[in-house]
Amino acid sequence: MFKKLIHFSVHKPKLIMFLVLLMVVLSLIQFPRMKVDTDPENMLSEDEFVRTFNHQVKKEFGIYDFIVLGVVNENDPNGVFNPKTLNAVYALTEKVKGMEGVISREVIALSTKDNIRQGQIGEVVFEWLMKDPIDTQEQANFIRDEAKDNPMFNGTIVSEDGKAVCVYIPIAKKDISYRVSQEIYEAIKDIKGDESYYITGLPVAEDTFGIEMFKQMAMSAPLAGLVIFLLMWMFFKSIQLIISPMLLAVATVLSTMGLLIGFGFPVHIMSSMIPIFLMPIAVLDSVHILSEFFDKYKSIGNKQETIFVVMDELFTPMLYTSLTSAVGFFSLSFSPIPPVQAFGVFVACGVMIAWILTITFIPAYISLMDEKSFAKIGSGEAVKKEDVQHGIIDVILAKIQKISIYHYKTVLMLSVIAIIVSIYGISRISVNDNPVRWFDKNHNIRVSDRILNKHFAGTYTAYLVLDSEDQDKQIFIEPEMLKYIEDLQKYLLAQGMVGKSTGLPDVVKKVYSELLGGDKANYIIPQTKRAVAQCLISYENSHKPDDLWHMTTPDYSKVNLWIQLKSGDNKDMSVVLDQVDEYISNNPSPFKIKYNWAGLTYINVIWQNKMVHGMLINFLGSFIIVFFMMTFLFGSPVLGLISMVPLTITILLIYSLLGFIGKDYDMPVAVLSALTLGLSIDFAIHFIQRARDIYSENLSWPETSKEMFQGPARAISRNALVIALGFLPLLFAPLVPYRTVGFFMFAIMFVSSIATLFILPAIMSLLPKVLGVEQKRNLLCNCKYCVIISMAAAVTVIYLIRGYTAIAWGPTLIISVIVMGIMSAVCAQVGKHKFCMIDK
Amino acid sequence: MKRFILLGLIVSSVFMFNPKSFAQTVDEIITKANLASYYAGNDGRSQVTMTITDSQSRIRTRGFQILRMDVQDGGEQKYYVYFSQPADVQDMVYMVWKYTDKDDDRWMYLPALDLVRRIAATDTRSSFVGSNFVYEDISGRNLDLDTHELLASPTDVYIIKNTPKDAGSVEFSYYMISIRKDNFLPVKAEYFDKQRKLSRVVEALEIKDIQGYASVTKSKATDLANNSNTVIDFSNIKYDLGLEADIFSERYLRRPPRKWLDQ
Repeated sequence: MFKKLIHFSVHKPKLIMFLVLLMVVLSLIQFPRMKVDTDPENMLSEDEFVRTFNHQVKKEFGIYDFIVLGVVNENDPNGVFNPKTLNAVYALTEKVKGMEGVISREVIALSTKDNIRQGQIGEVVFEWLMKDPIDTQEQANFIRDEAKDNPMFNGTIVSEDGKAVCVYIPIAKKDISYRVSQEIYEAIKDIKGDESYYITGLPVAEDTFGIEMFKQMAMSAPLAGLVIFLLMWMFFKSIQLIISPMLLAVATVLSTMGLLIGFGFPVHIMSSMIPIFLMPIAVLDSVHILSEFFDKYKSIGNKQETIFVVMDELFTPMLYTSLTSAVGFFSLSFSPIPPVQAFGVFVACGVMIAWILTITFIPAYISLMDEKSFAKIGSGEAVKKEDVQHGIIDVILAKIQKISIYHYKTVLMLSVIAIIVSIYGISRISVNDNPVRWFDKNHNIRVSDRILNKHFAGTYTAYLVLDSEDQDKQIFIEPEMLKYIEDLQKYLLAQGMVGKSTGLPDVVKKVYSELLGGDKANYIIPQTKRAVAQCLISYENSHKPDDLWHMTTPDYSKVNLWIQLKSGDNKDMSVVLDQVDEYISNNPSPFKIKYNWAGLTYINVIWQNKMVHGMLINFLGSFIIVFFMMTFLFGSPVLGLISMVPLTITILLIYSLLGFIGKDYDMPVAVLSALTLGLSIDFAIHFIQRARDIYSENLSWPETSKEMFQGPARAISRNALVIALGFLPLLFAPLVPYRTVGFFMFAIMFVSSIATLFILPAIMSLLPKVLGVEQKRNLLCNCKYCVIISMAAAVTVIYLIRGYTAIAWGPTLIISVIVMGIMSAVCAQVGKHKFCMIDK
Repeated sequence: MKRFILLGLIVSSVFMFNPKSFAQTVDEIITKANLASYYAGNDGRSQVTMTITDSQSRIRTRGFQILRMDVQDGGEQKYYVYFSQPADVQDMVYMVWKYTDKDDDRWMYLPALDLVRRIAATDTRSSFVGSNFVYEDISGRNLDLDTHELLASPTDVYIIKNTPKDAGSVEFSYYMISIRKDNFLPVKAEYFDKQRKLSRVVEALEIKDIQGYASVTKSKATDLANNSNTVIDFSNIKYDLGLEADIFSERYLRRPPRKWLDQ
């Protein structure tokens, strides 16, 4: 049926062109409906507990996500605490308050906070920390001393060294943080002082990344396309010919994106990666076709005839390479993360679109071309240059052939060593992510992050919410309970990961000591519940009594501990989570409490865990499905297994490299595992399929290998070079995930082509017979094969059930064991059946 | 003759919009309003229930009694605020000596700490025990701190715009006040923030005649910026009890004057 399609395309090329154009136009008209979503929080579905809880905490305690604006003055001997700098910050704060989307009443700054201090003898004063612009150095010193004396402010809005102050700018929605940060930068431009201004915070990092990512996308994908184009031009010389894969790539990317947008999915950070993932996949098959076409045309001399021959040879491997890539990505649809699901499904669709275009558009395109334009291929200057090109590749290929055939034992030994070393490397991988580190280390946000976390107790926040199990009791004004929290705070601080924690005990202690005359010795939790309540009602006489409700609820049944961390790394946040768990389990609370976490730093940990865990399962699942497909394709589990070898080594090597160079296993890396799987199997499919075709003709492995290292190996190396080099410019991208993609593309292509060209011939030299596996006999007749196949089938089915339902591993494992037992019995029986006997 | 002059003044103020005559009238109005709202009788006592509703509709209540004694009508006053609710703050006392020519004196007594502290009164725009009322709403804002301007005079109220002389000392840029023409009680005050946006409203919800004095018995302060409000219910209002001056002293902070408190 598909062969008919190819014939149809060759005979009715204009119709095909029209249909492709129609598809692209239909996709393009979807583009204006594009919705952009740059919020990593959407990595979790909206009804996910962490998200609903986070939302509830934000509402209950009146907390907003905030932008951190830091001001550092290293030039003035008094740091920022000189009238000029303080007044500049004052004016800037006022400006920021007026910006759209800023929750002005909740801005945390020197000029917006109320302080409690000693007045004249026997007098307490509630007073704005910095009510108005100031005139003298004495006033600046006074503000500094008061701010540093208040544990709520020290390390949070004023740095311990007095060199810096921070303004925390709460925003109504995270997706405005980039705009607000730009407005702040704009406002800073007008300030002429010797202080420096820094903006950071997770919302800014996340939103800015989303925006820069789209920009980067618009640059990187075309740039990679250009490099690929140039490389192809080097190989094939005929611009007219190589335009076809480029058009194919563009058509594939546009229709896939059109499909995504048309179905109403927002373009998320993940889906903005679709073009860059689809491009190599779309180009790969066409390069195989062109490469073969190029080689064959010389001898056949007729474009239509050539295209039929080439398509006949390549049809099956192309179908399977596309299917395996699609499977790799489609497996992402089992992920618990909505944007990853959409990404997986649409890239899988894109892969299949690319495949259909490859078998229709490319033949149609070639048949539309003027026969004369191919004349160059056979003769003239092009040949000479091209021979030189071929020369280099061929010389290398010839060497590879010698090594892999004559020293196959060495090759196999080295492979085993590589596997062992890789496994060690993989054991050293650390799972970690931090949206701030998605930027280059010289990016504004990274620089701000570094400098502010040097001066302050931490720009990353998480909220630890303690909740009384008995709602009727005001347990959090019980002195015992407050002391318990105080001890927890001390413990966390002593562990070193938490820069500072602020909560109800700090307010109580501060107010109590000021009421008693400001003596530091009285900086303690008072003895009775009534005393605590009276301290708090005194605090409510301030200008900002509502600040209390950021830390507790009016019925005192919940408290919120504001935890500041100097690092937003998920692994560091995870350490803090463990510390709290450990402390609370080792030190029972005096009253029954539940506790839970909120805040962006925490949410990132949660979705990372889901993602990494999900990706690993997806990966193993698709690995087995690919194996199943290979067995089916080659009609032999042994060949199926062999075809998985280069892929396995590629994956092990690449991921072990992460472990060795100390690169974290983060979101982009996790997503790339699907790509690695889909792309690395491709060369093996082409290689084995062609080797078998050739072997079936000459029945001699040495002969076959010689031929293999001509056309097929050349196609593989061309492909590897085109993609690997095409994505190399990404290594210089300003955004780290793009570099990761560039590195992976390069590594996948490089390692998997090398692995395929060395290891597959080596294995075949060891076991030449595998190529001749009798195809005609029913696979199920061989009991061993039957068991292996049924095992793969069972795992596939279980994997799919697991992916689409919420059944836990326990029951599915039991079912699988039972299924396996039955299958083995069936296999043993089938082997004895009549139709197998006949064959034998 | 005098009558003619008076008539002439009224006519000119209505028809000719003479700013000078308005200025006089404004001062009269606000002076009368000040007396009506804060100086009824020579002294007074009231039970107060305060209901604070925050933006999430969570409710907190405060219960206290206010004793007030005027040293001089329109001038110096003394307040004694005795708390009974919530239970943890029972017996807590606030005391204010209000002056018109200098900063007030304020004291606070915290029974659980057995502590009397003076509270600096340089700034009276801080919250009254966590409610949407500020200190000035309870004891009155000094008239001399603002310039007053009569903006309109519809049938039953005067509408006066008040602009602070020292803009830096307060959180608002100006406030509009509506004063009833019949009893001179302010029934609505609207505060506009520095961006000239309406940010807070204080209104009289219920007015009753008590011992011949028109008295506000229910009042509400609404904070528009954070969507919260506080309602004050005054009950058992009594005027001219004949309070003794010495109960408004530090000595009585620790020892509530039971005799004068409504049990």
